[in-house]
Formats: sequence, C-alpha cells, structure tokens
Amino acid sequence: MQDTGKNIIIAGVGGQGILLFSNLLSKYYMKLGYELKISDVIGLGQRGGGVESHFRYSTKPVLSPFIKSGDVDYLLSFEQTETLRYLHCLKDDGIVFSSTFELSTSSVNTKLEKDMPESKTELIKRSGKKTFIIDPDEYKSADFDISKMMNIVMLAIYAEFRGYAHEEMIQIVKENVPEKFVAGNIKAYEKGIEIAQACPPTP
Amino acid sequence: MQTENKISTLKMMNGNEAVARGAFEAGVKVASGFPGTPSTEVMDYTQQRYPDIYCEWSTNEKVGLEVAIGASFAGYRSLAVMKTVGLHVAADALGGAAGSQINGGLVLVVGDDVGRIAGDDYNDVRHYGNMFNIPVLEPSDSQEAKDLMIRAFEISEEYSTPVILKITSVICKTTSGVAIDENYTYEVKNRVKYPVSFSKVIMTTMMMNAKGSEHPKLTKCFNDFPAHMKRLASDSNDFDINKLELKGKKIGVITAGTPYFYTKEVLPDASILKLGMVMPLPEKLIRELAGHVEKLYVIEDGHDIMEKNIKDLGIAVIGKELFPKFPEMMRFTPDIIEEKLVPDAPKRMLMEGIPFRLPVSCAGCSHLFISQILRKHKIKASADVTCGLIGCFPHMESYSLQKCMGSSIALAHGYNVATDHKEKFVGMIGDGGFWATGINGLMNLIFNDSQSTTIIVDNSCLAMTGGQHVASSEFGFNYKPENKLEIAKVCEAIGVKDIVTVDAYEFENLEKAILNAVKADTNSVVIVEKPCVTKFKLPKGPLYSIDQDLCTQCRKCINIGCLAIESKKGKDGKVEIVINEDLCVGCGLCSTACKFDAINS
Repeated sequence: MQDTGKNIIIAGVGGQGILLFSNLLSKYYMKLGYELKISDVIGLGQRGGGVESHFRYSTKPVLSPFIKSGDVDYLLSFEQTETLRYLHCLKDDGIVFSSTFELSTSSVNTKLEKDMPESKTELIKRSGKKTFIIDPDEYKSADFDISKMMNIVMLAIYAEFRGYAHEEMIQIVKENVPEKFVAGNIKAYEKGIEIAQACPPTP
Repeated sequence: MQTENKISTLKMMNGNEAVARGAFEAGVKVASGFPGTPSTEVMDYTQQRYPDIYCEWSTNEKVGLEVAIGASFAGYRSLAVMKTVGLHVAADALGGAAGSQINGGLVLVVGDDVGRIAGDDYNDVRHYGNMFNIPVLEPSDSQEAKDLMIRAFEISEEYSTPVILKITSVICKTTSGVAIDENYTYEVKNRVKYPVSFSKVIMTTMMMNAKGSEHPKLTKCFNDFPAHMKRLASDSNDFDINKLELKGKKIGVITAGTPYFYTKEVLPDASILKLGMVMPLPEKLIRELAGHVEKLYVIEDGHDIMEKNIKDLGIAVIGKELFPKFPEMMRFTPDIIEEKLVPDAPKRMLMEGIPFRLPVSCAGCSHLFISQILRKHKIKASADVTCGLIGCFPHMESYSLQKCMGSSIALAHGYNVATDHKEKFVGMIGDGGFWATGINGLMNLIFNDSQSTTIIVDNSCLAMTGGQHVASSEFGFNYKPENKLEIAKVCEAIGVKDIVTVDAYEFENLEKAILNAVKADTNSVVIVEKPCVTKFKLPKGPLYSIDQDLCTQCRKCINIGCLAIESKKGKDGKVEIVINEDLCVGCGLCSTACKFDAINS
C-alpha cells in the first residue's frame, strides 16, 4: 500500500446526501484494509443547515476524530459558502473540489447580515490551492439534473482524480443504495466521470 | 463464555450504535428513556437491531429512569437513555437510586452536547457524579463505547450503584471500527441480591432507631454506600480502563473522552493518564503521573470537574487558567491544544465575513403558520423547545419568552397571574413537550383558576429529535390503536373550558380560532393539527412562485421564516426574492403574507 492515508473534509448543507457520500467512500477504504474515523458533525439538524464530515483513513490507527487545521488533504464541498468555511483547514498543497451550488443563508435573506461582496466562486479560485470547480447548471439537461445527485457525482470525480477503479466504486453504490435508486445513481456516477475528465483544475 | 465459536469482525459503528451493541452484549433486558440530541439513536439502534430487549420511549426522562430502576430491582440489567438536559428532569429519580441496593445493573446513558454542536445548552453530566457520589465512565471512541457499556453494568452490580455512561456529541456522531463477535448469543441473567431497595431517606431514618442493631429486618434496609464508593475509588487504580502511559517527563496530561486522542496526536511525547472512569478518580495513578512530569495538565471536555477533583486531592494541575472554560471555549479541539502547548504552531484563520446559517424551519411546518398569526396580531406568547422555537429568532420575533421542554404553559400562566390576566399571554407547546411535562402546567392552571390560552401543536411526533413517537402518535415501539392518547380528550378531562381543533393549513380558520381563544374570558386550548412535514414526507401541493413585476421586496414573506424563500443575486447582480422549487411544498402560507398579490401557485 503506497498511500498511507489522507484527511478529507466533506462539506455542504442538509439534504445533499453527505452522510451517504462518506458512507460509500468508507466502504471503499475498508475493502482496502485501511483504518477509518469519520465524524459527522451536523448543525442544528434542520434542513438547510451546514453539514461537515471529517473523514480520515490511514494504515495506522486514526487518533483524533477531528482533523487539525492545516492537516486537510482534500476538501470536497457541495455548496460554495460552505467551501469558504474550510479553506483555511487545508494543507499548503491541499486540493479543493467545490460545487458552485449556493443555498442562500437565512441571515442574509433576512438582512441580519450582509452577503460577501465578492463572488464566492472567485474567492475559492483565488485561495491559492489547486481547485476543481464544478458548476452543476453547466451539466444540467432536460432529463437529468446533477445538482440533485451531487454526492454520487462528487464520488465519481474524486475516484477519477485519485485513479480509483470505477467498477469497484459502482459496485459499492449498488450494494448500498436502495434498489429503486441504483439506476439513477449509476447514471449520476457516469456523468461524474465525464465531468472529471472535462474539468480542468485552477490554477 | 463465547470463546469457542468467537468470530471477531470489525464493524464500522458510530458511538450511539456501539452503545446499543454494548447493551446487547451486556444482556440488558429493559431500555427506557426520552429522545434528546445527541444520544437519541442509542434507543433507535437498540430497538431496531436487538428485538430481545424491551424498549420504550417514556413520557419523559424521569419516568424513563424510574422504569429502568423498577426493572433493575426485578433483577434485570436495565438502561435509561437521555441527554444531560433530560437528566435534569430525572435528577430526583437518580438521587433516589444513588446509594441504594442494586440488583440488576442500572446504567444511565447520558448525552452531553459538548460544544453546542447541535445547538443545546452547555451542560456537563459529571456534576451528577459529584452530587450523588456515583461513578461516571467516558469512552474515547466507538470500541470503548461498547466496552465501557458492558463494564458499566459490571461496576453497577459489583459496587451497588447506578452508573452514568457519559457520551458526547463527538462520540455519538463519530464512526470507527468496533470488534464484534458475530456468533454472540444474547443472554439475560437475573440477579436478585437484595430483597429491598430503599432510598437514603429510609435508610437514615431506620438508622436513627436501630444503631448497632443486628436484627435482619433492620439490616436489610441498610446499604453502606460510602463504603462501596471508597472501595471503587481504591480499586480504580487497577482498572484496565484507566491507562497510565508514561513517556516524556516534560508534559503530563490527565484526560478522558475524545480529548485523549487530540492530546495523543498533538503531543506524541507527553505522558498521559487516560481515564475510562472519570469519577471516582484513581488517586495513586494521578500521583504517579504527577511525580513523573515537570508540568501536569488536565484536558477535559465540558466543565472543570476532574480539575477541581484533582486539586481537592492536593495535586497541582494546570487546567482552566490555560484553557478557559465556557463561555470562552466551547469544547476541546486538536487546534486548541496545539495553540497552547506547542511552541511556534502555525496559526490558520477562518476567512472573514462568511454569512451564518441561522436555523430555519422546514418549508410547510405548521409552526410557521402559528408564528405568523401570533406576529400579525401582536399576541404575546411563550415557547418551549419545540421546532417552533425558531420563531424566537430575530427575523421572526413571534415569541418573547422561551424556556425548557414543556415549560410554555406554566410560563404563560405565571405571566397572566402577575399581570392580572390583562394581556392574555399565550403558551405555545408541541405535542412532545405537552406529554413530557407540559400537561402538568395545564392541570395547574385549571385548578388555580387561570384564564390562559394554550396552543398545542400536534405534529404526531417528537419532531426536533427526528420524529420519535409520543403518547398521541399513531405509531411507536409498543403502539396499539386502543392505547393512543387523544390530546383533546385529555384536555377535556383536565377541565379546559374551551377546546378547538384546527388544521394548520386552513389559515383563516386557524387565525379565527386563535383570536377567539385569546379574546375569550375563560381558559382555552387550540389544538393545531398537521403531521411533521419532514418525518411524514407529506405530499407536495402546487408550488408557489413570486411575480417579480409585482414584488416590492418588502420581505414580509421572508420573515415568515420559510426555508424555501430566498433572497438571491441574479447573474446581472440584481437581488430578487424567489421561491426555491426544490424546497417549496406548496403550503401557501407565503401567499397569505403578501400584500401585493405577488405570490401565487
């Protein structure tokens, strides 16, 4: 085993399937014999709240359930305001995968707070980290809206980037999602591979 | 006993799941309690995975603990699960069990929401360990959560005491490997050691009359609990769950729970005393560590409880002077330890100005209808800890008084008697809060001749914690239709003069019902019915949208507090108020709030 382990933060908002994402990914690393610790720190539990998952796999026993700031290898984010919250946690050579999807924040909606003046996508691009930006609208078609299955799309993008065997990942998806969703999930996964191959990193 | 066919496999489990597995392997017969974040799923997993264990969600935590105490007296291992805030409700029951004779092991699994991860008050269950002189165990990961659960029952029986297993939100929500014997067979034991189990008031009363008596009728009432605890404290120096890891001489750390792992990762050379049992403390081990190192720290989540107990032993330890406790610090993280104890650690700062996500109700929640009517008519009202408490937040301002679970009815009554019923302060309560303790408030206001109005929101479950059943639900672990309690009938039996039941989505009827109830010069209850949209996945109605030509951006619709209504910057930079199609359920509340007729289905 060449890869001795990585620290990943998975971020987004409630209802985006982040827990399923980390569950599927954990199955992959378990099959490879890694030790894991996954901490799912959910906000107030309501829909629309921020969700943050600390995912650690290693050839040695994983100690802290939380990743220390500066120790994150990959930030996989499903919502771009949430991406901004974790940029400072990345290693100097850490890598960002971020959707441009944005769920407006209630405090801005109600004018209790001002929104950031700059474009959030630009802030992410200018973070100085290697960044993959995924715009779900760009890949939206009449019969298929990837924003609804971003967790599976992200799984494919991550797997492609890491050079993992897609057949194995698809097998894990098949084994772990309810039967009636399998076909849709596989379609989303294949779309994810396509996006990954077309999506250049910034800078 | 299972050694012959033992097949150990590693299963990924979160802390709640592991505790449930521990209960199963400990041969628990009865599990009771009340939902509360972060430990609700301990019961859910127990009920789903281990059908041999009798499970119940009780009406409140006090009842839940009393059920477990009764089952324990019958000789069976029993557990009660709740969050620390819930143990405040059950504290009287715990005080009664502490120091009394224990037959079947009695364990309280209590969730401490350290760091307000799920937004709860900052509590520390270990205070009950000090107050009632009972042991507290604290796991550091899922494996330990399972192992300590079993150990807790053994300690409970061996030292005749209830035992608290403290689990934190981090433990509950962290998944890691647990070694499981797949061939394990569930085995219940019956252990009746004592013919009676009396609280300390009986014991001490008896002792006044019977000092020195050897009469078995008298001695059977006594339980020498101080001796049990002394023996436990002494034995704990040899417990394998308390581990002394002697390494470097510079830094020594006494720690427990997940902070143990933060410490190990940030300070790999430190000598560590890792406590699986945080109360009582193993004095010998602490002195040994203190003698080994130059500087001794205590790193504990929650309040400075171990720190105070260690200082009481006359041992110098550095704690809150370096790591200031609540409200300065919500919980330990590896970052905090690094910042304080690792010289020249790099500082990494969160980007400034990222907007905050204020909690918002689910689209279509019946609470939004009630909040809207209260605000519209400037009716003063109280809330407890239902999902409706979101109406307290500044964009809604529907409630001016909000306190603990079940409180709102008595809060309103108190306000009304103090103001001679001139203002008609309304108490709003959910069905969960009503059955938990709110019903007492209602009985109280009736026989004290109060004319208060109560709004009971019947959403058929305990929505805030994920939709567990309550006494009036049409489902549940032990549900039978004939045993379902009807809120309206109970209100009638209690003696409420005026009771109306309304569908939340019939806005005009609901508005009329609330206004009538408030105006009436008698006590009244308005029962607002609508199943929880999230739990019961209600079918969507026609989606609503905002006509941008008619919208004046007055934001009245946004202040309803619905998650589906957003203020969005378009590609041209212009702000528009829009309804998120994915989130809208078509309840139509927003259209009633718009004065410009801009919102339509």
